[in-house]
Amino acid sequence: MPEVMSSEVVVIGGGVIGAAVAYYLCREGAEVMIVEEDDLASGASGACDGFVSLQTKTPGPHLRLAMGGAQFFHELAEDLEVDIEYRGCGGLLLATTQEQMKELRARAKTLKAEGLEVEVLTASDLKELLPEVGKEVKGGSYCPQDAQVNPISLTLGLARKAQEMGATILRGCKVENIVVTNNRVREIHTTEGNIHSRRVVCAAGVGSNQIGKMIIVDVPVLPQRGQILVTESSEPVLKTLVAGAEYLGTKANIEGLLPADAEAAKLGLGFTAEQTAAGNLLLGSTREFVGFDDQTTPEAMNAIARNALRYLPWVKDLDVIRSFAGLRPCSPDGLPILGTIKGIRGFYLATGHSGDGICLAPITGKLISELVLDGETSLDIAPFSLYRFK
Amino acid sequence: MHSGGTEGRESWRDSWEAAREGTVAVVDCRQEIPCNPCEEACPTGAIRVGPDICAVPRFDPRACNGCGRCVALCPGMAVFLLDRREDDGFARVTLPYEMGRRPVEGEEVQVVDGEGKALTGGKILKVRAVGGKAPTLLVTVKVPEEAALKVRGLRYRLIERDAFREADEVPSFSGYPICRCEDVSMERVKDILQAGLRSLTALRRASRVGLGYCPGMFCQSSLREELARAAGRGEKEVGAFKVRPPVRPVKLGLLGGENA
Ligand SMILES: Cc1cc2nc3c(=O)[nH]c(=O)nc-3n(C[C@H](O)[C@H](O)[C@H](O)COP(=O)(O)OP(=O)(O)OC[C@H]3O[C@@H](n4cnc5c(N)ncnc54)[C@H](O)[C@@H]3O)c2cc1C
Ligand code: SF4
Ligand code: SF4
Repeated sequence: MPEVMSSEVVVIGGGVIGAAVAYYLCREGAEVMIVEEDDLASGASGACDGFVSLQTKTPGPHLRLAMGGAQFFHELAEDLEVDIEYRGCGGLLLATTQEQMKELRARAKTLKAEGLEVEVLTASDLKELLPEVGKEVKGGSYCPQDAQVNPISLTLGLARKAQEMGATILRGCKVENIVVTNNRVREIHTTEGNIHSRRVVCAAGVGSNQIGKMIIVDVPVLPQRGQILVTESSEPVLKTLVAGAEYLGTKANIEGLLPADAEAAKLGLGFTAEQTAAGNLLLGSTREFVGFDDQTTPEAMNAIARNALRYLPWVKDLDVIRSFAGLRPCSPDGLPILGTIKGIRGFYLATGHSGDGICLAPITGKLISELVLDGETSLDIAPFSLYRFK
Repeated sequence: MHSGGTEGRESWRDSWEAAREGTVAVVDCRQEIPCNPCEEACPTGAIRVGPDICAVPRFDPRACNGCGRCVALCPGMAVFLLDRREDDGFARVTLPYEMGRRPVEGEEVQVVDGEGKALTGGKILKVRAVGGKAPTLLVTVKVPEEAALKVRGLRYRLIERDAFREADEVPSFSGYPICRCEDVSMERVKDILQAGLRSLTALRRASRVGLGYCPGMFCQSSLREELARAAGRGEKEVGAFKVRPPVRPVKLGLLGGENA
């Protein structure tokens, strides 16, 4: 490796966001270097679910961002050489109480007003979509536009395609400092040497706060742990994505949908289930603030299993073969942080995607590439500015 | 106290000799990862990992009573039992078994080595469950002595599926599934390695090796060698699969507290 490297744009982070930003930049012919401390998809993007879920987005800019991005998945499924296992499978949110049903009904109305297809279903309607549901389940809401993707394949696929279009990927290379002179980014210092670059995109996930410090900007991204159980592979049993209303409650902090049980509330427990293309069921998950600890814990594993039995009792006979945990790059309001920094030219934020980074990756990549190359975006990103927090 | 014993990868010689007198464990552990269930399992102190739990265990066959608890608990499937008392050109090897349907005593099976390559045929002598809540099946097979130290597993489902195949049509190693659970071939692994991956976990993400029912127990050591070679790094540097619970598959109902 030469002593001093250079690149038109440097993307910090080889997760799904960094890979998507690099991909869309390369499509516009930019010269891109991805700098990744560990390896591609080694962070949250390699330890998460694959929900491309629209009905769980907060109505308003967040939902519009997600809806604007949904179309890109079809294109990517065509364009990437890696099979991203994209499946327009629809998604279900299940209610276990009448109060939750009421809340979901009201929400469905709002979502519909924003142009999303959502149906409210009774417990007996569910029979068509699920083999069997637990006794507590009262019904739910179904969004046929919800979809599923393999997050790891998506990340690797985007990065590989970017590389084919000329991007350089530096693995095992950690950004340690960013040099700014005359209010402009000049140089990135890494463990593998210095890189001359006038544009840098921070897509460092939970490392973003640390990156911010290098330019003396507070990027409020905290690690939020989510744990998942993996079952043995089985015949196709889940046609759709499934989540409990409490999942939405803990995710979007909706009072009426938070778990009633104290222990569940502490873990930020919310039920999710999807079946991967390989046949394994991924059952989740938790939302815990425990710093950078990404171990799985027996308490959470038990709680997730117990919770799963409430919604889908038949999973009891499946073997759990593994567990994993990922750290969501969590922003204070759960929405991404996108855009420029006041007073420093050439620095762009693409982080804080919290529990939605997979779903929002393509649209983020597209918009950030526009911002970096043209200085403006085709969809208004002002609501995602860092300065909304001040 | 048995402070004696030989490091895991060398102790097979002692085990081989001791197996003439009775059933003993053979510890073929190369896992320099935080792992020590074998030490905890052993009622006689024959296996010791010691304070540095990343160390390879030391094993003293003289202290071993052949109970097989270590075999049942080792998540790396790195321990098996050996019995050569009969001196009839055959050895009795006891292996952990956790895939497919329950093996039946008296059946003929194929035995495979650590890379999943078929070695020879064997006959199931005994099947028993060891361990409490989530017991492991231990299967004793009678195999020719010369295969005894190489056997790491039984091939059961594959035999059924491939029953029609000619016996001598053994596929080449590179086309053979290195990860049997996910059916990933060495060829595919080599292909993926060209992308310049640096660690075993990265390889797992890219290829699904080690993501199956056995969390990388059979494939790990050969993969590590291959990866280290491709990446030009040391075997230690490329790391090991992250060990995450459960080390053995467990029924979800049980984990969720049903009939516990
Ligand atoms: C359990 C769980 C389930 C989830 N389910 C879903 C879901 O179903 N749908 C969905 O849309 N989202 C989901 N998410 C959220 C999603 O995983 C994240 O929002 C997304 O992966 C974030 O991507 P990222 O690229 O920003 O971060 P990461 O994937 O974490 O990537 C950041 C990268 O930056 C690197 N890095 C950090 N600092 C430095 C540095 N100084 N120098 C160089 N490199 C650095 C890191 O090594 C890392 O690889 C889930 C998350 C979890 C934990
Ligand atoms: S077989 Fe029993 S006595 Fe021998 S090493 Fe294993 S656990 Fe210890
Ligand atoms: S892999 Fe098996 S033999 Fe090795 S230390 Fe772990 S339990 Fe002991």
